[in-house]
Amino acid sequence: MDIRELKKQSDLSYDIAIAKRNALEKAHSRQVLAYNGNLFRADPETICVVRTLKENSSKFFILDTNNNPVEISDAEDFLARLIERNQEALNAYHQMYETFTKKGE
Amino acid sequence: MMTKGILLFCFDTEHTRYHKILERCVHLIKKNLKLPVTVVTNFSTFKSIEPLGFVNYKFIEPELGNTKLGKPWNNVDRHLAYELSPYDITLVMDIDYFCFSDNLAQLFDTDYDFLVPDQAYDLSGRNSFDHRRFSIIPMVWATVLLFKKSPRVERIFQMVKYVKQWYPHFAELYRIKVKNLRNDYVFAIALQQVNGFVGYQTFPFALSTLPPDCEIVQFTDKGLAWKHQDKINFIENHDVHVLNKEIADV
Repeated sequence: MDIRELKKQSDLSYDIAIAKRNALEKAHSRQVLAYNGNLFRADPETICVVRTLKENSSKFFILDTNNNPVEISDAEDFLARLIERNQEALNAYHQMYETFTKKGE
Repeated sequence: MMTKGILLFCFDTEHTRYHKILERCVHLIKKNLKLPVTVVTNFSTFKSIEPLGFVNYKFIEPELGNTKLGKPWNNVDRHLAYELSPYDITLVMDIDYFCFSDNLAQLFDTDYDFLVPDQAYDLSGRNSFDHRRFSIIPMVWATVLLFKKSPRVERIFQMVKYVKQWYPHFAELYRIKVKNLRNDYVFAIALQQVNGFVGYQTFPFALSTLPPDCEIVQFTDKGLAWKHQDKINFIENHDVHVLNKEIADV
């Protein structure tokens, strides 16, 4: 057992973990979407709620990130914007994740 | 049509060339947020600032007396933001908050009249900002705040002035551990008071922040790299609040 090699591996793993954590935080920040004068998070929960409510009616009410009620009158457009923002953020995260995965191999 | 812009405060001290930090900050705002910029400064700092293109300047003499780690810290003029801003909607930013993305721009597209962050994220991975409730009031991060001119927001700033005027009293009342004046607490107290002690609207994300012991080793238009305990890390296309003031010399 080469303890220096193990220490090196441990340091590398730590660095990669921090970098991944930061990339995820960046993705979370990037998921914020301004729509109809309010702020939303383009996360799976919001996307699922909007999709479910849209099945029932094209107009509905939803809470923004500060729990303010907002009327959504064009559900199709709102859902498309949420998905676009969500995928933009996760695509960037995926690219970083791949870089770090390769670095760790 | 409402006017929109960024308001920055910058005053050199004998220890820190804040104008060097300002130059980087303004460059990134112009590149990524593409919004008009107004810099509140004094004439001696202004003389050191390199030409930054079209920037609006407002001259005041900073209120002296506040310190941080024993050094002068001219940061107590934030209460003047409301009257100094030439814009209907203003984003006030610390000059050590670097916009490597356009993430803040969308805040202007909201109906909020006052927004402030209440969370900070430690990029060095130590969660060092999770234990900063050294008071009985949750701190806000007045590093970045958005306001729209209105009678309600004017009252918030009047309360900010009042809290600042009687800060030693409020610091005792709220059992704030640090004794120097911090805008973070001044705004937290003012917002709580004006809002009837029941909370206020906040940013939907934490401010990514590098603690003071992280040394900036590279700074580009896309992002920055830092060193902490002999480890180098970097981040790109993401806004960062840098607490190490030696960034002026990077």
